[in-house]
Amino acid sequence: MPEVVKPIPSTWCPGCGDFGVMAALKNSLKALSVPTEETVIVGGIGCSGGIHNFLDGYGFHSLHGRLLPTALGAKLANPKLTVIAVGGDGDGYAIGMGHFIHSLKKNVDITYIVMNNETYGLTKGQPSPTAKVGFHGNLEGPFDAVLTALSVSSAGYIARGFSGAPREAAQYITEAIRYNKERRGFAFVEILSPCVTYNDTYQLWRQQVESVEKIEGYDKSDRAKAFSTVLQVKERGKIPVGQIFRVADDKGAPALDKTLLPMVERSPASADISLEHNLPKYQKLLASLG
Amino acid sequence: MATTPATSTAPVQSPVPTERVGPPSRPTAPLRDISIMIGGQGGDGTLTVSDLLGRYFHARGLYIYTARAVLSRIRGGHADASTRAHVEPVWAQKPVQDVLVAFDDDAVKVGLKELDPHGFVLADQGSVKTEGANIYHLPLSITAASKVGNGLYKNTVAYGALSALLGFDVAAARGVIEKRFGRRGGDALNFNLKAFDLGRELVKEAGLPAPLFTVAAGSAKDHILISGNQACALGFVVGGGRFFSGYPITPATSIMENLDKMLPQFDGIVRQVEDELGAINMAIGAAYVGARAMTATSGPGLSLMTEAMGHAGEAEVPLVIVDCQRVGPSTGEPTRHEQSDLLFVVFASHGEFPRFVLAPGYASDVFEITVQAVNLAEKWQIPVFIMLDNDESENTQTTPGFDLSKVHIDRGKLLRQEELDKMPAYKRYEFTSDGISPRSVPGMKGGVSQTTGNEHDEWGHVSVNPENRRKMMAKRMNRLELAKQDLPAPHLWGDEKARIGFIGFGSTYGAIREAQRDLKEKGVPTRFFQARTLWPVPKEALATFLEGLDVAFVVEHNYTGQFARLIRQEMPEAASKLRSLVRYDGLAFRSPDLVHPVEEFRARSG
Repeated sequence: MPEVVKPIPSTWCPGCGDFGVMAALKNSLKALSVPTEETVIVGGIGCSGGIHNFLDGYGFHSLHGRLLPTALGAKLANPKLTVIAVGGDGDGYAIGMGHFIHSLKKNVDITYIVMNNETYGLTKGQPSPTAKVGFHGNLEGPFDAVLTALSVSSAGYIARGFSGAPREAAQYITEAIRYNKERRGFAFVEILSPCVTYNDTYQLWRQQVESVEKIEGYDKSDRAKAFSTVLQVKERGKIPVGQIFRVADDKGAPALDKTLLPMVERSPASADISLEHNLPKYQKLLASLG
Repeated sequence: MATTPATSTAPVQSPVPTERVGPPSRPTAPLRDISIMIGGQGGDGTLTVSDLLGRYFHARGLYIYTARAVLSRIRGGHADASTRAHVEPVWAQKPVQDVLVAFDDDAVKVGLKELDPHGFVLADQGSVKTEGANIYHLPLSITAASKVGNGLYKNTVAYGALSALLGFDVAAARGVIEKRFGRRGGDALNFNLKAFDLGRELVKEAGLPAPLFTVAAGSAKDHILISGNQACALGFVVGGGRFFSGYPITPATSIMENLDKMLPQFDGIVRQVEDELGAINMAIGAAYVGARAMTATSGPGLSLMTEAMGHAGEAEVPLVIVDCQRVGPSTGEPTRHEQSDLLFVVFASHGEFPRFVLAPGYASDVFEITVQAVNLAEKWQIPVFIMLDNDESENTQTTPGFDLSKVHIDRGKLLRQEELDKMPAYKRYEFTSDGISPRSVPGMKGGVSQTTGNEHDEWGHVSVNPENRRKMMAKRMNRLELAKQDLPAPHLWGDEKARIGFIGFGSTYGAIREAQRDLKEKGVPTRFFQARTLWPVPKEALATFLEGLDVAFVVEHNYTGQFARLIRQEMPEAASKLRSLVRYDGLAFRSPDLVHPVEEFRARSG
């Protein structure tokens, strides 16, 4: 085997929440025995987006806000791959918002992890779409990606974790990747990941997180209930976390890649494109134009 | 920036009087070049008539060029189409019309200006009020409504009437209907055949002297009738393209629609996505994992794609981007013709990276160049642009059947697993003599890599090391020089000894070839450099071309003479021989627009 690129030490500040997310992702990939050569990590732009450099596997550093279409293209072209898109809240909910909604709608079997720190850390602390009113003079109310995801009818797996609780975070990510492997569709995992330099919320969030799964009678396959519970928890001044929604096994929208490519062995990336192989079909195609 | 257009050629008015005295004289010999325009309201079925005529003439061995919406400069819901048929190859619209089929008065008003003195108008009685010695009113829609049961069949009634007025072979004319509607099943075929027969009867009942004139037959029987966008879709499939993502935009959409029918048969995928940002980045993702990928758009979409073009350039991801140009800037004129994206495409996106910009001139050229573009993108691991233009994308023309034996798939330095296994080390951006690094794709063992839009070292790690930067820039940029022999060579047309030249790209090919033919008849030999690679500018070939010339007219559809500017920038020594001929009113050049300036030049230079 050739010598290949090695992961480099991270560029994150000591204590950054992203370390917890990375550890969780690493453990999930290991727990599921995903082969390194079948792992594709697509990073966005921002502190979190550099994660592919720090992990084993094929890494792709995409443009700011465009990690999702890039990751979907990779998965649709070769559904054998395990594709994880990882970016920040600015990347995903500001410049890349359109792709976020449409990725939920498209329902391709990838896992999308957003490290939410409520700020633009790399550009030194501007308010992000999830920032509270008043943060660095922010005048706009925060955006909640979990509620948005719940409102998209094809969204089948939605979780929110906290990097201060890496074991649970790893569990959500593991379940998300497993959900992909079962070809059930797109999995969305937001992880609260404090920026120790510009928005150190560790203590605050540790007190605020509340697992919806521990609420009595909570049914994560009930979308309406999930939506109302998330709202109620927020109204109590808490942050709802947990496996918030997982569509029942016998329900849910079909995964797009499964619909288009029922057999993972036959895909755009693996197609034999030689002329010899295709000639009779090409001739037929040309003849049909008459 | 010039404030006046680069030497502009005002569209030459056709030499046709609009008022006449006395009965028109009809051509006695069969016409060797005929153009029939059909105009009416959107939904009148003008395209159906145009299509049936195209099929008929095609079956009669003539070369065809069809255009649509030629008159959409008129307000409201006006729609029209024209079909040209010629004994010799044609690639552009005829400057005048021989027949006008009018479903309303607007069609007569504008169409008459382009009607040849020997021509006539077939008008729908009841819908067209305009009278004239040359206007024959027949109850097309009334007959369709009362005798076929649906006024919409007026288009086929009109086709039937035309078949009588122009002395068509009846069996062949009916055969076209059978071919077109036979597959649909139901009553469509019978109703259309009935409408056709009724149209012929109307001519007889009206006592018109049919045929008024006739059309010669030709020998172009092995040709296919196809649009540039269809040819592009086919070229992509045959070139091994298996992934397409796009966003609907005129006039690029039909590439996506055609591929949507074709690609699934080959384990390929077509996705319509949320915007052009998604389209290009999704194609990049697919290309990254080893699928041959393409996106197609027009000006507004291309503007949105610019950031990602540079990403493909820096990350060295093979990608084909088709630009079906229309009138810009901004929304411009979505259905109209222009070639004003050239400088944008050559320089689009921030920073510097290598790209190839290719421009085919006619349908079979579109096919060939698209196959080549997919190969070039993968071989040189960079973005490759194909520039089409509105008329080239949308209009149909006859072209010889595509030659599959010439197709060759070149995957460049894409590694096979057994090659990768033998390598001591795999570096995605390894320095090599030709700047191209061996490429693994996800899924391959031992080929793990980092692919990035950041500047990087050979391993793909982010790097700001100045020496590395210099080497990486050279690695990428040198391809422009190294790839030269690989890029589509220009086609040279006309007389090698001519002193007058044309330089053009894209669909101006048609008007230029026809102008050459017309000038030759007037005893003026010309030479035409059909540029098929626009960037890098084919300097050596252009220098050779210009050597024996007194003047070269650079023909293009934009205000500032962009290709001429590009050539002057790259070849200052050539500047004195270049003259810009531009047209930017949304319509395509026709032969007289080019013949006239050449004659003027000759008159001035004695």
